[in-house]
Amino acid sequence: MLTRSFDKVEDILEKYGYRKEMLIKILLEIQHEYRHIPREVVNYIGVALGIPPAKIYGVITFYSQFSLNPKGEYTIMICDGTACHMEGSMNLVKVIEEEIGIRPGEVTQDLKFSLDKVGCLGACALAPAMVINGEVYGKLTPDKVREILRNIKERKAE
Amino acid sequence: MKINVNGKQVEIKDDAKNIMEALREIGIEIPNLCYLSETSVYGACRMCLVEVDGKEIVTSCTLAPREGMSIRTHTPKIYEMRKGILQLLLASHDGDCTTCEMNGKCKLQRYARDFGLTTNRFATVSKKTITDNSSIIVRDNAKCILCGDCVRACEELQTVSAIDFAYRGFDTQVVPSFEEKIENTECVFCGQCVAYCPTGALAIRNDVDKVYKAIEDGKYVIGMIAPAVRASLQEEFGLEDDIAMAGRMVSVLKMIGFKKVFDVAFSADLVAYEEAHEFLERLEKNERLPQFTSCCPGWVKFAEQYYPEYVPHLSSVKSPQMALGAVIKKYYAKEIGVAEDIILVSVMPCTAKKFEAEREEFNGDVDIVLTTRELVKVFKSTGMDIKMVEPEPFDRPFGLSSQSGLSFGKTGGVLGSVIEVIADKAAVKNVNTKQISEGTNLTEIELENGRIVRGIAVFGLGNVRKVVDKLKNGELQADVVEVMACNYGCIGGGGQPYPNDVRTRARRASILRETQSVDVLISPTENFHMRQLYEKYFGAPLSHEAHETLHTEYKHRRRIQQEEIDILPLPTDDEEKIEISVCLGTSCYTKGSYEILEKLIALSNNEEWAKNLEIKGTFCLENCGKAPNVLINDRIVGEATIEKIKEVALSEIREKQGDTEISKSNL
Ligand code: SF4
Ligand code: SF4
Ligand code: SF4
Ligand code: FES
Ligand code: FES
Ligand code: FES
Repeated sequence: MLTRSFDKVEDILEKYGYRKEMLIKILLEIQHEYRHIPREVVNYIGVALGIPPAKIYGVITFYSQFSLNPKGEYTIMICDGTACHMEGSMNLVKVIEEEIGIRPGEVTQDLKFSLDKVGCLGACALAPAMVINGEVYGKLTPDKVREILRNIKERKAE
Repeated sequence: MKINVNGKQVEIKDDAKNIMEALREIGIEIPNLCYLSETSVYGACRMCLVEVDGKEIVTSCTLAPREGMSIRTHTPKIYEMRKGILQLLLASHDGDCTTCEMNGKCKLQRYARDFGLTTNRFATVSKKTITDNSSIIVRDNAKCILCGDCVRACEELQTVSAIDFAYRGFDTQVVPSFEEKIENTECVFCGQCVAYCPTGALAIRNDVDKVYKAIEDGKYVIGMIAPAVRASLQEEFGLEDDIAMAGRMVSVLKMIGFKKVFDVAFSADLVAYEEAHEFLERLEKNERLPQFTSCCPGWVKFAEQYYPEYVPHLSSVKSPQMALGAVIKKYYAKEIGVAEDIILVSVMPCTAKKFEAEREEFNGDVDIVLTTRELVKVFKSTGMDIKMVEPEPFDRPFGLSSQSGLSFGKTGGVLGSVIEVIADKAAVKNVNTKQISEGTNLTEIELENGRIVRGIAVFGLGNVRKVVDKLKNGELQADVVEVMACNYGCIGGGGQPYPNDVRTRARRASILRETQSVDVLISPTENFHMRQLYEKYFGAPLSHEAHETLHTEYKHRRRIQQEEIDILPLPTDDEEKIEISVCLGTSCYTKGSYEILEKLIALSNNEEWAKNLEIKGTFCLENCGKAPNVLINDRIVGEATIEKIKEVALSEIREKQGDTEISKSNL
């Protein structure tokens, strides 16, 4: 895992010519590749680009595009704003847990799904709502959630 | 240039960097919480507001002076705004001043008092805070006001950047990467971040209780005081230009229960003497030049991390602190017959000296290191009026020092002392010193035989990095380089009292200069107590005994500590096994380190001699240019092949067996 993972970092670094100024671009690609920014990678690119890791850490934690914990290929954001909460969004969290075995803040072993609880998504009219990879799903029921998740799983299996 | 300040015409310097600096010169210190003259301007706290031309209110630290401009520094509106800023800061601040290291010295506390903040119109908000008290540099972000002074000091002055802002908005924190403990980072413990922190968010580990405990336990407590401490202590006791401070310190320490108090300036003479001979030898053999001084542990760690190729160039002579430690523990303890019971306490301007004393190379010769800041607390708690304390001389024999030894406290001192010794050995025709760049002086010493020896004295690790890079690429030539991590040398050390800014450092330099000038001995060679040490113990400089006691070794050190992966762990004793770590970082991986790993495993399974190889995987040894790299015990083997590894491992085994045979025959 470890050795395999650095190969790709090296490709990305090469693509940007090991240029310090490209740090954000490089990090974005790494985020895309690993769905988070692994600590070893921070240290690695720190050495490769000559940027102290504390600075890179500052960048990663500043921009919301980056995450320190792995995100799934499908990031599920379940809304826990007032409107959704009243409509039973927390019940849906249980359904998701039954279906894919993770709770908010976690990611599945195969890195396919990650789940986060977020504040109002701005879709209160559709409460309860969730967003998967930018797509909004509203007026959810436990059955609907199960169906959505199963569809995604199958899509992948093909 | 003329400007109008609070209704009066004043003359300010044309080249003043900004209105804040300009007004400082004429006696107005605009309240400020994020301004450091030495670094770039941050302009975030907004405490330094002034009114310009009766109209806008702007931050004076970012305001360029302009002929004829009119400034008001303290209008009711500004007063209210400053108060508001302070109240906002205090709303999320852990205001428990009585238990804070900076109590009485903190800038925030001072402003709160000066602005009469007895109540706060903002409700208290608590936020997640990070603390780290695992090492010498102690961080408590509950007291951090995010002024960024530490970040800029570490990045711009020292080019280390062990810490930075992380997270955003209300959650912002100053931390090392991944909130790591500072001791596991590339931090060199220079303490410049602590030196500039206006609050108690950064402090130095307080070791005062250990000293009292030693006295209480009836230990034979010996003190030793570094040159730079006597130049700064007075700031805390309302004294001015007091050159008898060292003597007063001796008195107070004796009163507390110290049995003896020695002068580190003595061992500075010793170190200069030994180091000058080391240098002359290298010069003659033309090897390992330029020679770098190694009395500054901040610089030593910096070199170990960033310039492994120059580690062999470091003078192998210990620093004055560790040299005196070794002399006291090895010889003096026997002379006075109290070997086990000695507790050696050194008083230093420096946070890195605490780190140095704990380095394993020095087997604990110095037991406790107190910084000037800690000493101030000890003295204040006695309630004695230092002004009225009769000075006492340092104890003999390690109380004598020359002007050179004393000068170790500031930039140029070590180099100057080495030159003094050289002048005694070889005829020197001419010595010429000039500044060649920021914080960097070049001294050319013309010897009688026409040879010119070039010495550089540089301070501030940022300046150091520039100099070393130029030496590396040949842009600059030198034979000997004195390095001090802190600006202006140890007088500006991280353990010195707050404030520790340029102005204060300049004052300390002049006090030290005066203290020196009353010393009758000029060159280390005149220090006869030091010469006695040679007569009694060392014989001659660079002798075997001198090497045993006064010299040491440094080694390559990784900036980023990362855990190794055990691949073939052995249950045997550390004594017997040879540790081989194969770098699996990308560069090494692509150059075939994985195959090496596989071959190694096969080797240890098949060959008898190799059964004691403990094989580990490690991540980037920071030597990627020579990939693939393998670490055998502490030796880096670059461009490694299985044959090369075998050879080095076998020689390590032979060395070990040699050792055990020797120790057996000793029995
Ligand atoms: S002690 Fe020196 S190196 Fe360490 S964080 Fe502070 S300024 Fe940086
Ligand atoms: S730790 Fe001190 S110097 Fe650093 S940002 Fe906080 S208050 Fe400022
Ligand atoms: S210059 Fe002096 S005070 Fe600063 S780190 Fe080096 S030895 Fe310590
Ligand atoms: S509360 Fe869920 S979308 Fe607004
Ligand atoms: S000192 Fe000017 S904004 Fe902080
Ligand atoms: S990857 Fe091995 S030394 Fe850098």
